[in-house]
Amino acid sequence: MNYLTVRTRYAGDVFVVYIDGYLNSLMGEEVERVVQEALDGGGRKVLLNFEGTRLINSIGISIIIGVVEKIMERSGLLAFCCLSRINRELFQMTGVARYVRVFDLEEEALGHFSQSA
Amino acid sequence: MRLIWNQGAGLSFRPEEFFGREEELASLSRVCLEGRSGIGASVMIFGPPNVGKTSILLKLKHDLQRLPEGSPPPRPFPFYFSFSKILSHPLALSQHFLQEYLWQVLAFLGESPLGAFDAEAMCERLGTFGLTECREFLIAHRMWTERGDGLSALVNALSLPFVSGREIFYPVFLFDDFQYTCKLQNIPDGAILSILRPHIKSGHFPMIISGSSPGHVTASLKREGLYGSFQMMEVGGLFPGASAKMWASLFERRQIGMPPHIQARAAARLGHVPIYQRMLAEEVSFRNVQVTDEIGFENLFALSITEGQLNRYWREFFENAFPDRLQRARAIKFLKRVVCDQFPLDTVEGALSLLGTSPAEGGEILSSLEFKGLLKSDFEQLRFVNDPVLADFLYWAFERGVLGKTSSQVAASLVQAKLSRAALDPVEGEREKWIAVTKELMRRWDCREVPTLLFRFGGFRERFGGKGLLEVVIGMEKEAQKLRLPKISSVSTGYKTRRGGPRFDFDLVAYGFHDAEFSEENLVIWAVDVTTEKTLTARSVEHFENRCRLLSLEKGLKDEQLRKWILFEGAVDPAALEQVARYDIFLTHRSQMRLFLNLFGMEELDLEADVRKPAEMPPGTEPLEFELVLPMKADTEVVAARVAEEVAAYASLDKDTVDRVKMAIIEACINAFEHSGAESGKVRLRYILSPEKIELFVQDEGKGFRGGRAGEESKRNRGWGLKLIRELVDDVEIMTGDKGTTVRMVKYLGSGSEKEGAGSQGPE
Repeated sequence: MNYLTVRTRYAGDVFVVYIDGYLNSLMGEEVERVVQEALDGGGRKVLLNFEGTRLINSIGISIIIGVVEKIMERSGLLAFCCLSRINRELFQMTGVARYVRVFDLEEEALGHFSQSA
Repeated sequence: MRLIWNQGAGLSFRPEEFFGREEELASLSRVCLEGRSGIGASVMIFGPPNVGKTSILLKLKHDLQRLPEGSPPPRPFPFYFSFSKILSHPLALSQHFLQEYLWQVLAFLGESPLGAFDAEAMCERLGTFGLTECREFLIAHRMWTERGDGLSALVNALSLPFVSGREIFYPVFLFDDFQYTCKLQNIPDGAILSILRPHIKSGHFPMIISGSSPGHVTASLKREGLYGSFQMMEVGGLFPGASAKMWASLFERRQIGMPPHIQARAAARLGHVPIYQRMLAEEVSFRNVQVTDEIGFENLFALSITEGQLNRYWREFFENAFPDRLQRARAIKFLKRVVCDQFPLDTVEGALSLLGTSPAEGGEILSSLEFKGLLKSDFEQLRFVNDPVLADFLYWAFERGVLGKTSSQVAASLVQAKLSRAALDPVEGEREKWIAVTKELMRRWDCREVPTLLFRFGGFRERFGGKGLLEVVIGMEKEAQKLRLPKISSVSTGYKTRRGGPRFDFDLVAYGFHDAEFSEENLVIWAVDVTTEKTLTARSVEHFENRCRLLSLEKGLKDEQLRKWILFEGAVDPAALEQVARYDIFLTHRSQMRLFLNLFGMEELDLEADVRKPAEMPPGTEPLEFELVLPMKADTEVVAARVAEEVAAYASLDKDTVDRVKMAIIEACINAFEHSGAESGKVRLRYILSPEKIELFVQDEGKGFRGGRAGEESKRNRGWGLKLIRELVDDVEIMTGDKGTTVRMVKYLGSGSEKEGAGSQGPE
């Protein structure tokens, strides 16, 4: 039924989620679902990669905020990477950027995770 | 017979009687000459009836035919064609079009015109120039005509000019009275545009269309998706310099005269419209009067309006537009109130209620008025022509027809009114200006905090009476008591009704929200009156309070939801001051208002220019407009974003600006989807691109915030959308009307703040 899937992979113990295309409610819920699963499976480190994100809407952002809250509740680690300028601004405007480390490249983010292991 | 040929219009055009319009002609001929390199632009000329649009086209034709020798071929061939109402049958139109085209081509090529209108013979002659295409067209045309297939005949006729000529000339289309193409018998509205569409879209043919009814034409253009391809050019009166030259020529030929200062006054009185000037000159020569002073002129003018040339001119116009007497009377009565009494009216509902007819009949009247170019409706907004001669004619018609006065009585009162009104005019204008300034001020409120003292004249006078401006400004800054202004979503100019309902009985009515939260509980209405009376009396305060009570009763407002505000200048009665305090009415004096403007960074003088000239564009750079209608389906907002991207590409905007505009439009669409309870399930978008800004309108047809359906998603989304939009674009305005909610967003282009911090770029 769900035609929309989110690419994910494990880079060591870091769960990387690739958000491609339009981050709207559908995509947001899918991200929420896979992150939830990862957390339920004991994962603690999550990296959201926005390299392929072409558009974001406010509903998508609301859901991402939910994801941030969830990870913080479980005292997990979360980072964003590869944000385009406009998307970075959007997260700044909505205040999400205050709670999340943002990196330009995925490698940098993974490096950060391995240091804080 | 000859007279109804378009060539007839061309022959009766006297270039030596044409004055002014240099700017318009320069940009039009630029468009026409670019056709040589295969780049054709399309321009639509619009303006009130008989303002001189046809003359511009004919002058253009005249100029293009007299290009300096030696310019390399192909030469521009200006083909003037007028779609007049006598050609409403498609077969007649197509036949006429073909003949006209052939005739004009022959004349253009230097052939002496044929005596008879024989298409075959003309075709033969063209053959001698190597132009043979027309034979096939004539054969095909005869076939369609015999079959009675009007549409095919039209397609055939209209296509001919696009294929002929080639190396020798290229056609420049000057299509006049284009609104009549919407009224062809048995042919769907817009069919002509469908036929022309590929040629317009190809961008090879300069095409200038003109008509007094832009509403009809632009509507068809929009339906055909051609609106964006056309540049708009509005034609009004002449510049004073040009009308002076025109007077000189008119008077010289008739060997009459008028003192120069009266000439200037007369030109202004006639709105600088050439045709009126010509009629008045005829009036002078016909009546053989000597106009030596102002009273003499006003007398002549009143005579002309009540029984002379100007009268005949408008009377015929109305008889033509409204053959039915009763309907004509209704239209005149209605127009009199709008054009002559300046009843501020800008919505269809308002117009219908003023007409006092059934909506169907009212709609018919409005649409005839629009067709004749006396009103322009754009996006549900009505705009009426501002023609001083028409205003006086309507006054005559009203007094004569409705009140049964004689013409000389009316003439006398016209003269008297003009002479006595002359002294009052500036004051009236002053009040209007003040209202406009206040309107703009309220638009900028946006939840700001201002010293409460600015709204309390009594307290203000006590504290600062007799103090210098600097002291006052400093004192204001220290003022602890602040009033938080609402976020205003719409301000409308109301009007004072003498009789009837209390609906808009204020100078201004503003709708807004506390805390920018768009909910019913947060709604606040500001009712504002601006008075320029010498002394504010207890009576006028009482009257204001009564209307406020009615308004809050009608709207079911709680006390804190209605803000009452009186602006005044001059003095105030002690009793009035007492009442203001008792009723909790805000009272602001003109001097306090200056502080207000200062606070909001608005200079009164600057604003004046703004208000008078709504189109801030330099001439020749008309905005490009694009339109899109979206079904209310999930994710269709992506289409809107995509279109925004394309539109922005048109102006080669930088990526950052494009991204911001895209995001803003996505949010506005989502908002529209969520908040409207629209049955039609459509969202209308308009993108208007001009050199200095991109303007976006997102309109839903629902009930706005009132009918908001709080679905699961909208709860999650609550408040984000608007907040983001505000961050993304420079200006946001939300207008809620009966028809739905429109969000207007403006992003200013040019060296913007978005350039800063370019170092924090992510990988792209």
